[in-house]
Amino acid sequence: MEEVKAYIESGILELYVLGQLTRSEQEEVEAMAARHPEIQTEITAIELAMEEYALQNAIAPSASLDQKILSSLSSLQSHQEEPKAEQNPPRPEASVVSLAQHQPADSRVRSLRIALAACAALLLISLVALFSAHSKLSEAENQIASLSSQNQKFAATVGFMKDHNQDLQKIADMTADPAWKIVKLSGTKMDPQAKMTVYWHAAGKHVMVDNSKMNLPVNDQTHQYQLWALVNGKPVDLGVFDVKSDTSHLLLNMKEIGVAQAFAVTLEKRGGSPSPTMEKMIAMGGVSI
Amino acid sequence: MQALYDMYSGALLGVIARIIQHQEIAEDVLQETFIKIWNSSTHYDASKGRLFTWMMNIARNLAIDKVRSKDFRNTAKNQDIENNVDSIDAQSKITFNADILGLKDMVTALKPEFHTVLDMVYFKGYTHIEAAEELNLPLGTVKTRIRMAILELRKYFN
Repeated sequence: MEEVKAYIESGILELYVLGQLTRSEQEEVEAMAARHPEIQTEITAIELAMEEYALQNAIAPSASLDQKILSSLSSLQSHQEEPKAEQNPPRPEASVVSLAQHQPADSRVRSLRIALAACAALLLISLVALFSAHSKLSEAENQIASLSSQNQKFAATVGFMKDHNQDLQKIADMTADPAWKIVKLSGTKMDPQAKMTVYWHAAGKHVMVDNSKMNLPVNDQTHQYQLWALVNGKPVDLGVFDVKSDTSHLLLNMKEIGVAQAFAVTLEKRGGSPSPTMEKMIAMGGVSI
Repeated sequence: MQALYDMYSGALLGVIARIIQHQEIAEDVLQETFIKIWNSSTHYDASKGRLFTWMMNIARNLAIDKVRSKDFRNTAKNQDIENNVDSIDAQSKITFNADILGLKDMVTALKPEFHTVLDMVYFKGYTHIEAAEELNLPLGTVKTRIRMAILELRKYFN
């Protein structure tokens, strides 16, 4: 009967009497007790000890309580039939609920308050952090915008400078190249101050106007200057151009011409005229050979 | 029932009153206990254990349910100032109330820590698992101590 002895010594019977076992564990103990009388004897001994212990620690109820309880019981009795004591359904399982779950109400409220305060503080901190992050972000965005506009400006300047440089280089080349003829046009009586320079490559038929060496009054929206070549006494249209206060290009390509004795500029209506208005001729110059 | 009451009301109240410090509420629970015993007497199986063990477990479970009920906590909160000490005890010292309604000192040769575990489970509404956590002991040690304490009581009462 080693098994029974070990079972008794495991302490499970004490927990059984104290109502500490789950339903299935209870049933296991009850099955063991039914099979082994020693176990039943042991259970009874434990129960007796606990009963005696409880009696030793009894607290007498108030004197009037017995009447109160007995009368409530007898009123119950009159409402129901005599219960049948011989029925033996399984003993109800002692419900074991954790004591630790139960927090006193006050401390729970207090801890909730602390939690609420902590939440509010956290929210405030988050808002401040969000605001400062937001202002930093917009600051950074402004910086990026200004940097990129600066960058664009630089790029435009560099582009302009490049073109400018290219044109200057071209002018220098043209001046050095004897194939390019430099025709200086001087003012007529319409504007004696007027002057301009035309570069002409007779073999390549290229004609260019130099904005940097030009001194013509700024034309309005309805008029444009028109360049003419005088070929054997007849004017040939070489295209129109504007004179602005801020010219972006130094050199301006005009229409091609292979033969010319002189160049002249007239002020015409916008888009140019088929033949020059002679009284509006502002500058002219002959080709020196 | 009168005989049952005369015999066991004190012992049952002894358990209830150590879980619920408030005298009136403890006696209410005692009344509920007797009503439940009455109503579910068909569930009692004499072959499985003694009547007192069964009644004791009913009383203890009702007392624990009461302590944990919202109703009880509200009652405890609304007490008069004179009763404040009681209500504070009832609310927060359920687990440490041995000194107030002191358990009778048993003249046993047993070490006090063995009794502590048994009293926590038997009188104060702890489960043996909670007692193990509270005392920071392995579950096996708690079981052994409960068994040792009951063995000692058996010796003492014989």
